[in-house]
Amino acid sequence: MPDYIDPHELEQKKIFLILASPGMIRQRNSDIIREISALGYHTVVITTNFPYSVLSKMYAQCSIPPGSVSFIDAVTRNSVGTAENIPGVVRYINNPANLTDMGIAVTEVLKEHSGQKVCIMYDSVSTMLIYLSSANISKFIHFVTNKLRLMDVSGVFLAVEKGLDPMLMTQLTTFVDNVVDTG
Amino acid sequence: METRDQKSCIEAGFLDNALVLIAVLDEKGRVISWNHAAETITGYSRDEVVGSANIWKHLYPDKEYRRGVTQKIADILKTKNYFENLETVIRTRSGDSHTILWNTKTILEAGMPRTIAVGMDVTTEREATLFRNSIIDNANVLIAVLDPKGTVQVWNKAAEVITGYSAGEVIGRHDIWKKIYPDTVYRRSVTQKISQVITEHNSFENIETTIHTKNGEERILSWNTRQIGTGGTLHEIAIGRDITDQRKAEEALVAYMTEMTMRLKQPVSIVSSTLLESAQLMKNGLLDKDETIMVFEGQARNAAQIEANIQEFQKAIVEKNKSIPEAYRKFLEG
Repeated sequence: MPDYIDPHELEQKKIFLILASPGMIRQRNSDIIREISALGYHTVVITTNFPYSVLSKMYAQCSIPPGSVSFIDAVTRNSVGTAENIPGVVRYINNPANLTDMGIAVTEVLKEHSGQKVCIMYDSVSTMLIYLSSANISKFIHFVTNKLRLMDVSGVFLAVEKGLDPMLMTQLTTFVDNVVDTG
Repeated sequence: METRDQKSCIEAGFLDNALVLIAVLDEKGRVISWNHAAETITGYSRDEVVGSANIWKHLYPDKEYRRGVTQKIADILKTKNYFENLETVIRTRSGDSHTILWNTKTILEAGMPRTIAVGMDVTTEREATLFRNSIIDNANVLIAVLDPKGTVQVWNKAAEVITGYSAGEVIGRHDIWKKIYPDTVYRRSVTQKISQVITEHNSFENIETTIHTKNGEERILSWNTRQIGTGGTLHEIAIGRDITDQRKAEEALVAYMTEMTMRLKQPVSIVSSTLLESAQLMKNGLLDKDETIMVFEGQARNAAQIEANIQEFQKAIVEKNKSIPEAYRKFLEG
């Protein structure tokens, strides 16, 4: 299986933009978490499409240790209305368009894992386009990447390949250290 | 041989049939002779005028203006005994204003000094000039007229507003192009482009250039030129239309369309993939009822939002750039 993330670059707390086809993006999500977990990192997945409960089952199927992943879930509360946070496992926000809550959740989760080997995975930039303009997405990713750099944490942003408009793509490219097109 | 009477008759005939106002004055400004054109232009008859200097008070009823004209004439006569092309505005008997271009000459007649004042009624020409200038000044396009050496002769108000350089800073000079195209390489490329087109066509249409205004802003102008002949020499008239806002709006619309295309295409792919993956998870018995409902509801919400985005997009296309969200417009403007 190919390595999508260079361990040396992960060690250097670099930030990656991973591009994949729509049909492969879920597979890439699992592949990358498995790679990162094997390197002893804890992954915080920000999910805007599948709820945490479904993703955790998918990861279990891919032999990803449950304790190596926690979630910021922007889907579940949007469907069921209420859901209680499970410390160390999942933190819910009301909907994917609420960037303020998402920003707060990222900050708090990073504080919880302060001193550990942590990687943030944002799944995905493409789903966010349903609810937000590229201008707002760009601002939010700028905020998150700044936060990651300040807290010396690496990050992975997933997006569907060949669909981002050149302006957004150019901006994302300037925020991250590496763009990996996985096909 | 012509007798003195015959000569006098001929002179009187010339005087009366001349198409310009002619007045002969004595040394005290009293009118000795007042021709037919003078009567026609001013409305005052020879009988009313000859023998006194009062006509000037009638022609210049405003004391201040009359004093100004008198002073101007006195100043001229300090250095020479005639004046040329002195322009004044007279009030006729009927109350109309006429612009008169005066020329004078002083002669001696039987040892007595006589001033011959010739006044040409240039009211129509001046009104036409004012009208032309008014059109040029009120046009909302930059108008510059250049002489064969490239010296700027006309620089209208729109030119001042668009570039920030006043007519006083530009007229009579030819360095405005260095100011509005400060980058040497760009200026050279513009010059080459213009020279090439002019060589082929003597004029150019719709050439776009980016100028730097006095306060450092960039504006996009679409230029048209024509050669105009005045007094045997060819002048160049350059008309520049400021299309900056139009270009920005077009760019914003294209960017918005690109953005919206991305915001429709990508999410539809995502929804489709998610439903296929969910179907696979259900086949494998990995989704319970609540999770299935949650996934389907989530995708239904996504689809509803995509539909709303399509409607916003349609509206923007119909209303063109008016519907581009302000936030996105500001974002595009950097």
